[in-house]
Amino acid sequence: METYLYLTSVVGVYIGIGVFVVGMAWRIYQWSTTPKSPVRLGLFPKPATSTGRGLKMLKDTFVAPHSARIEPVMWGFAFAFHVAALAALIGHGRLVVEYTPLVRLLGGDGMSTFAAWSGGTAGIVMTVAVLFWIARRTYGPFKQLSVPEDYFLLFLLLGIIVMGNHMRFLGHVPVETYREWFQSLLVFRPVMPAEIANSNVGWSLGTHMLFVNVFLVYFPFSKLVHTIGAFSANLVRSE
Amino acid sequence: MEPQQVDTLTGVLDKKMTRQLKQYLDICARCAICKDACHQYVATGDLTYLPARRAELIRQIYKKYFTKTGEFVPALYEARDPDESLLDELYESTYACTGCRRCMYYCPFSIDTAWILSVAKAILIAADRGNEMLGQLADAALMKSDNFDMFRDIILDGFKDIEGKVKEMTGDPSAEIPVDKEGADVLYVALAGAHSILPAAAIFHEAGTNWTLSMFESANYGYFFGDAEKARRIADRFMDEAKRLGVKEVVITECGHAYRVAQFFHEAWSGEKHPFKVRHILEVIDEYIRDGRITVRHGAITEPVTYHDPCQVGRNGGIFEQPRDIVRAIASDFRDMTPNREEQWCCGGGGGLVAIAEMEDFRLKSGAKKLEQVKATGARIIASPCENCRLQLEGLNDQLDLGLTVKPVMDLVVDAMEIRR
Repeated sequence: METYLYLTSVVGVYIGIGVFVVGMAWRIYQWSTTPKSPVRLGLFPKPATSTGRGLKMLKDTFVAPHSARIEPVMWGFAFAFHVAALAALIGHGRLVVEYTPLVRLLGGDGMSTFAAWSGGTAGIVMTVAVLFWIARRTYGPFKQLSVPEDYFLLFLLLGIIVMGNHMRFLGHVPVETYREWFQSLLVFRPVMPAEIANSNVGWSLGTHMLFVNVFLVYFPFSKLVHTIGAFSANLVRSE
Repeated sequence: MEPQQVDTLTGVLDKKMTRQLKQYLDICARCAICKDACHQYVATGDLTYLPARRAELIRQIYKKYFTKTGEFVPALYEARDPDESLLDELYESTYACTGCRRCMYYCPFSIDTAWILSVAKAILIAADRGNEMLGQLADAALMKSDNFDMFRDIILDGFKDIEGKVKEMTGDPSAEIPVDKEGADVLYVALAGAHSILPAAAIFHEAGTNWTLSMFESANYGYFFGDAEKARRIADRFMDEAKRLGVKEVVITECGHAYRVAQFFHEAWSGEKHPFKVRHILEVIDEYIRDGRITVRHGAITEPVTYHDPCQVGRNGGIFEQPRDIVRAIASDFRDMTPNREEQWCCGGGGGLVAIAEMEDFRLKSGAKKLEQVKATGARIIASPCENCRLQLEGLNDQLDLGLTVKPVMDLVVDAMEIRR
């Protein structure tokens, strides 16, 4: 167990974050050094001012109102997934630093209850959305259009989420213990608290982190770069 | 697959690589939200016409030759060589696309599939697989400008005949079709044939515009064929004429792609700013009506009229209201289609498809959505400012014997215009 956790939750994290950061920087460098087409590809109607275009880009990226009109069900799952993923990401920020003002507001127990409910909801929403996406890719034109990358990413996500849910719903390790582990990574003096290794979530944390690391390593080389590419592509729409 | 051939085709992709294209190829999630945006996919249910799939063929080459992951693990992306089977598929999906960009409208990342397919066309041309008919039409247009002395008199004779009709129509024996007129304010670029010259000439005459007619037609088969260099040279024919004559604006006739080429592409292709404005004829006519330079009789048409937004004029050209204002000024019963404007369905005639004989059955089949929309309005007259749209709409009308009349908007204007004596 110690070795597994050391590989996935210590060494692996450094590799995952390192490749992710360098890979994304490289991706952005590649995009920014490729000359833009002088042809304007915008669709009409489009805002007349650059502020208007910027606001429309943000709306198109974060809300995708046109996609909602043509396939509301798919849009609903996609929107729910992304909101839940953002919530989960913010929740994971507690590994780095406790949100003290929020704790002061809710009280210690209140904070735990809030985290349990919000994290739990996000986990369930993400699980359902990913299962929907997997199911959607098993039939008709969606199946024909899909390539192995699509399934690989979806199953990777499913693995991450299910392991996360296991820790959230069945684990009893308090956030302080996880934070102790994660902060130790940040200061390059890695410690894996025995409380985690000896609990029922040792395996799930290890596997969660294994999938997360693979996800982070692959991210910059996958279609997931839409997380940043969508902004500029949607801006081109209004140019 | 010969390595030489691979080099040539990937070389084309490399040469055509822009930031937009790279991002489009990198970020598509294959969510297939574009599926129901495409009139061709909706009408056929054939994967070949699913927008994301059309782009996927170029992505397969890109992944294999332009990304390390695709080079080492091609199977992950189904990355492959631009071999015969890929080129066969690419030809089918690329030359079928009308470039309506309805898929881009609905895409959460606004991926311009038509732009990706313009690169696909360059690859097909490099593989000597460009559409033959479109290629011949492009070459014919260039032949005309390269050997202009041979054609000049024939063209001028044709214009004289039309001039006679303008005199009749306006009842003014001094009405004329000015050609090669230096110092004219407007260079009007028509299509081949009297139908796009006559009504405009009558309207310009009534409005008292100082205009001149271009010797060249605005249609651009180089654009449909997918050869940017030829497309630029075809547009140069009238752009150079406009510069030589020193006009203030170039007015493009009721044609979709020609307007978009003149307004949005030509400056980028030639790297020069136009010393004149470019407008669509309907923007000009709308202004004439508003300024009282011409008068049209409201109620001149009592039958129900609908308006079809050509993709290159509407969603891709930004002209939505002017044509509607013109039709409303004339017809007492105007009925818009649903959806309309930027969400309208492509009629299926764009992209040069009406010029490709073997596409006819497919093209008419792909008009199913448009037909539904037209029928739902109960209109008897369809006005549309694009020749390709009109040919397609007429084709649909004839095939089903619907008894509709398809007209350019300026024909309605001429019918309703009060001629000042």
